[in-house]
Amino acid sequence: MSVRALWIISHEKGENVSVRFSRRFATVEHRAKSLAGSSYVAVPEENTVLQLLLTELGLSDSEKSYVALRDDCLHRQRSPAMELRVDGPGKGILWPVLAISQGPLILACLPLVDAPVEPRPPLASLLSVSQGLTLLAGLQTFLLGPGGKPDSEGLASRLAMLPAILLQVCPLGSPLDVPILGAPATPTVPIPAGNQKQPVWKTGLHRGRAVVNVALIETVRSMQYGNRSRQDLWDVYGTVTCKVPVPPILGSYRLKEEENQLHVSVTLKLHESVKNSFEYCEAHLPFFNRDQMGVVDVKVSSGQLDVSKEKNLLIWAMGQKFPKSREVTMEGKISFSGPTPGPTDSLCTELTAYIKLYFKVPDMTLSGCSVDQHSVQVYSSAKPRIVTSRELLSKEYFIWNSTGTAPVSSGQMML
Amino acid sequence: MMAVNWAERISAFSRSPSRFLSGTTAEAFLAELLRELRDDRATYSVKVLLLSPLCEHPALLCPSDSVGEETALELMSVFAQCPPKSVQFRCHLLLALTSVLVCTSCVSGRSRASQDFLDLLLQIAEDTIDLHGDGAARSVRATACDCLRELEACSPGLLSQRLELLGGLRQREASRIHQAYAALHTLVLRNAVYQLTQQTGAGAEHLKALLGGNTSVAWEAEQDCSLMNDKDSAILSSLILGPMGTVPTLQTGPDCKELRSVLSSLLEDSYLLTPLCQAALLHRLTEVVSMVPGVPPAVFRAQLLRLLGTSEVCLLHTTLLMKCAFTDSLFSAEDEAFILKRLVVLSQHPLLSTPEKLFYMDCILHFPENRPISCGDGDETLPVLLTPRLASALVPTVFNDSATMLARFNLLSLVYLEEGVEGEGEGEGSRGLAYLYEHLTSLLDIVQSGGSREIIVTFFRAAFLFLFYFCQVERYSSGLTEKLCKLYLCHTYLAPHLINLADQTQDRLTESSWAVELLKALQVVITKAPLAQLTLQDLSQHLKMLTRVAEEGEIPQTNTLNFLSSIITPSSSSLSGDWRLGNSLLGVCRRLLVHPSLDSLLLPLADILQHLTCHYGNTDIQDHARLYYTLLTTLSREKLAGVLAQGLTEGGRQVKKRSLSSIMAEGEGLTSMLTIHRVEKAIFRLIEAGCEPRGEPQTEKGSDLTLNETESSPGEANVVLETYRAQFEDPNFASEVILDYQLTHMEAIDPHFSQLFSVRLHFNLTDNHYEELSDISVPCLFRERQPPKVRLRLKPRRPYPTTLHASAIFTTQDGLSWHTVLPDIHVAFQQAFMSPPAPPAWGRGGKQCLFEGLWDEISSEGGLNDPADCATSLFCCQLKEAALIALVEKHFLPYLISDLSDEEEFKVLFFLPPLSHILLKIRTEEDAVHFNIATDNWQLLPHISSYLLTITRYRKMLMANCDASLLVFKKRS
Repeated sequence: MSVRALWIISHEKGENVSVRFSRRFATVEHRAKSLAGSSYVAVPEENTVLQLLLTELGLSDSEKSYVALRDDCLHRQRSPAMELRVDGPGKGILWPVLAISQGPLILACLPLVDAPVEPRPPLASLLSVSQGLTLLAGLQTFLLGPGGKPDSEGLASRLAMLPAILLQVCPLGSPLDVPILGAPATPTVPIPAGNQKQPVWKTGLHRGRAVVNVALIETVRSMQYGNRSRQDLWDVYGTVTCKVPVPPILGSYRLKEEENQLHVSVTLKLHESVKNSFEYCEAHLPFFNRDQMGVVDVKVSSGQLDVSKEKNLLIWAMGQKFPKSREVTMEGKISFSGPTPGPTDSLCTELTAYIKLYFKVPDMTLSGCSVDQHSVQVYSSAKPRIVTSRELLSKEYFIWNSTGTAPVSSGQMML
Repeated sequence: MMAVNWAERISAFSRSPSRFLSGTTAEAFLAELLRELRDDRATYSVKVLLLSPLCEHPALLCPSDSVGEETALELMSVFAQCPPKSVQFRCHLLLALTSVLVCTSCVSGRSRASQDFLDLLLQIAEDTIDLHGDGAARSVRATACDCLRELEACSPGLLSQRLELLGGLRQREASRIHQAYAALHTLVLRNAVYQLTQQTGAGAEHLKALLGGNTSVAWEAEQDCSLMNDKDSAILSSLILGPMGTVPTLQTGPDCKELRSVLSSLLEDSYLLTPLCQAALLHRLTEVVSMVPGVPPAVFRAQLLRLLGTSEVCLLHTTLLMKCAFTDSLFSAEDEAFILKRLVVLSQHPLLSTPEKLFYMDCILHFPENRPISCGDGDETLPVLLTPRLASALVPTVFNDSATMLARFNLLSLVYLEEGVEGEGEGEGSRGLAYLYEHLTSLLDIVQSGGSREIIVTFFRAAFLFLFYFCQVERYSSGLTEKLCKLYLCHTYLAPHLINLADQTQDRLTESSWAVELLKALQVVITKAPLAQLTLQDLSQHLKMLTRVAEEGEIPQTNTLNFLSSIITPSSSSLSGDWRLGNSLLGVCRRLLVHPSLDSLLLPLADILQHLTCHYGNTDIQDHARLYYTLLTTLSREKLAGVLAQGLTEGGRQVKKRSLSSIMAEGEGLTSMLTIHRVEKAIFRLIEAGCEPRGEPQTEKGSDLTLNETESSPGEANVVLETYRAQFEDPNFASEVILDYQLTHMEAIDPHFSQLFSVRLHFNLTDNHYEELSDISVPCLFRERQPPKVRLRLKPRRPYPTTLHASAIFTTQDGLSWHTVLPDIHVAFQQAFMSPPAPPAWGRGGKQCLFEGLWDEISSEGGLNDPADCATSLFCCQLKEAALIALVEKHFLPYLISDLSDEEEFKVLFFLPPLSHILLKIRTEEDAVHFNIATDNWQLLPHISSYLLTITRYRKMLMANCDASLLVFKKRS
């Protein structure tokens, strides 16, 4: 249940790659050696690991269109654990290397295989794998900081804190905890009296009125094709996974090509069961693989239309409410006669186009799920106040142009 | 300044220890680290840094157990003197100590230092009084527990006798570090129970005694047993390994009150731990309960409600492992269905990271079922409860990232395959398959409209998965072939991907002919496409593809030939002289020459080759085409096949005439010719040639003496020294050490390697005491002949002993090139000894004069030498007179300055390039033989003394007169 080594790598879209931090756990390596016997493969030096890792992640040789080692179709890219093929005197396969990558950072570690190595045990039988994943995720959250996008100074200062942090969370290769964000734990927290033990995950003492906040956030996704042969799809998830009878906003999107002009026709309908009170509601209509928009002659029945010519994007802001009819329309023509080509996309070619909806409805859920303030029981001597809330949020809410081909995309079709 | 310096050095070390140590030695670096750790001026933050090499590479810095032992003692004394408030440093010291002791096997050998360290750790762990109340002591205590746990993990059973003590400490601790005590206690318990299972006759009584700390009843063979287990790695291994794993058991009967109470106390507090520690603790306890059938798995029941609803990947994982161990004795059928549903939901939960989701999908394919049907041999299998309806939450979509998409594609393929996909029916299997195919088509459309490299690779992987599971479903596999052909025509740069797909499907799906069908179809689209728009780029990809097509005996090649003739016959200017393209053309022709249907291809192929011979605008290509033409038209079919087929057998060593046939075209024959193959075992080595004296030979005895033998005055000595030193103004003067070796075969090697040609030896330094060596060529090496001589010219920067890595590239008789590694070459200190490079005119007298001059200069303060580098020293040992003379004759004769007959005092002068001298005056005093040493490079003293120790010890052993020798040395500052 330990990791043999840990690496933190930074890069800029595959360029300027460097190992920013690495740690080897010698005692775990010692155990790895006893466990693997003659099949033992030592962890190579940093640069070798880096090269092998980049190949495995498909980030090496980005200028070459095909590299056998990187692009073989037999490659098991679908497993969370990678194989690094070490060459040279200590050659062999280093497995299972875990890696998570976000933005400019790649974090990787090599969990200990505490099982007979031949035949290779399933990943699911090694507890060190989930431990390694948890450690990596914790370190990633810590390093990226709030917002998930670190500036280089912030990153450097957090990297400099790692030795002290690893002393707390993973001193000898066995992960004990994940780094705590914000202020470090104060060791002076009074120890509870009597036999009661202090929870390790509670790091401080709260000195205000006790409050329990129960928030229910539902997220709705949808794919609407406007095509009889293809079923529209939607799902809702959140803290409770559940199904809904209808999508909250039904739409129709039709494009017609007329001599370098597109005729656009959109209708959006808010379902009667949905509360007509948005925090925001916007429809985005991007156009790809065309010249920039020239003349945009489009009218909307309600809301406000913004045109971003550089991005070839129409933004239709509906505001806080749909009109009484609960239906809004857009109609008009766009010519693509701009001087420069607009953005490209390999999915949305020709009439394959979509509207993406962004909205948030406070204080409602599609599933009808809610938390009853009075039914929440808290087993504690402090009588906390109970606060509950709920909201509905859209994500990946697409309405495809029904006159073009749309990609197959989602999974509820058989339900 | 020091801090910056150390930060850089430590980071250079951790980046590449091997490169760092090539500039120094592990011994020297370790000594530096230890000295700096003791230095009061260094700050504690620097000292923490200094410990990291010891934590990360202890075995490299402490190559032997004795060095490890000494280092550990040193670190413990640093710990003893460190003020309690330097918490971070104290904690890191404990970690470094643990690493050093474990990795040098001091712990498994129960060395003194490791016992002391164990006592120290236990003392810290037991000392729960926090004097300053600031929690500082608590951090050190937690680290001590972590170290104890690691020691126990690496040397299982080490703490078995302290089980009761550790249990007590855990229960008393109320602050958050109770977690560290719990983890320690659990692991020691697990290992102790494991050890009992290995004891014949151990039972309830033993278990009770162990838990009660009653060591008098504890089993006797404890020490032996724990030592034995160090060698046996089974105890280190997880005991929960799926249905095939067997767990050792301890028969206790149903009454294990004591164990049960320990378990329930650990479990009761488990929710207080961090998820990571909880998971580890539960896993260890799962192992304990599996080993003791007397304790029912139901002890975990109370934890299940919390575990089943967890969002922590490690807690859910430990629950799955628990299920694997206890199946339906702990988990009901409802629990099983719930866990599986939960895995499916988590596998696609948008809030989780991709690796977590991939891991959950992996867990679904290795789901620990209560009643598994298959034996679970590590392969991916679907749990019975995973219905298409449930799995539909995981259908792949084009919005997934590559890895997720492929994982889902694989999982769903298994699901639909299970349902049955044959026939056009409306079954869930065939509907699902239709969806997967449509999805694959969507991906293909994206590639078609110019998708990124990543999406291309992903598409081909998905295509392989699809074919792997469903290539027998004709309507889809042929549809895919058709689409791939269209795709290829639009994007010919996909040729390597398509060839790879064909190769892998042919390789993995031996019963399917899909790959051949694809290649056949590709041949048709390539050869039927209009030539008008053909670019040079396309053409070169087409030829690559047709070469692959021509490998298939079943595919008729007439179309290919027609295509070749149509592209070469018109006065197409683009083809006029491109060598690469010509080679690609010849590549196809070459394949066709060995095609089984050659008879029917003979005429058109000959036409093409003749056309190339006469009209292709590149002489090299013309020549090759001519050769092929000649081979084709003059050799019988069998001979032609014989000649060319040899070139095609992969890596066949027995092939002798490869060069003739394969050098002509790019093919694997050429590749294997151009590739350097690797030999794993050493084939030959360098052994030292007979020990002849090095340096200037002593032949001028009796030649004209320009200097008087006996009357060397100081003035003359000065002249001698000046003349001698003037020679060194040329930096190349006497700067090399020449070592002679013989290159010989190792014993018992493959006869294939008994005749080798063009051997090129390459040497790598392991330190930077010498200049790089140039390669050495040896024309041939035959086993039965006299071994060839190899002369190494080493140019020292510092004449220290060293080791050279040697490797060689050579050719065997069949024309293949090989790379091999030779055994390391060790260059001993005395191999750098030379006679002083005195001018040839000087005789013995001149050298004596030189000796005296140098001796006086080193012994006195003046002279040209930097006095800081000069040193004198004394080495004493017991030797009888005869032994001494024998020693001088054997080892010093070439360097002897005085006369051998002058037995009162021997004077010996070693010159060591580039600029060092060691002078010896050897004289028998009443108590011992005194070797007076003078040198102008004090850093050579340790080497000369160890050399003297070796030769005198050997001599003494020979003379059976083994008194202790004594070495005193004095360095002038």
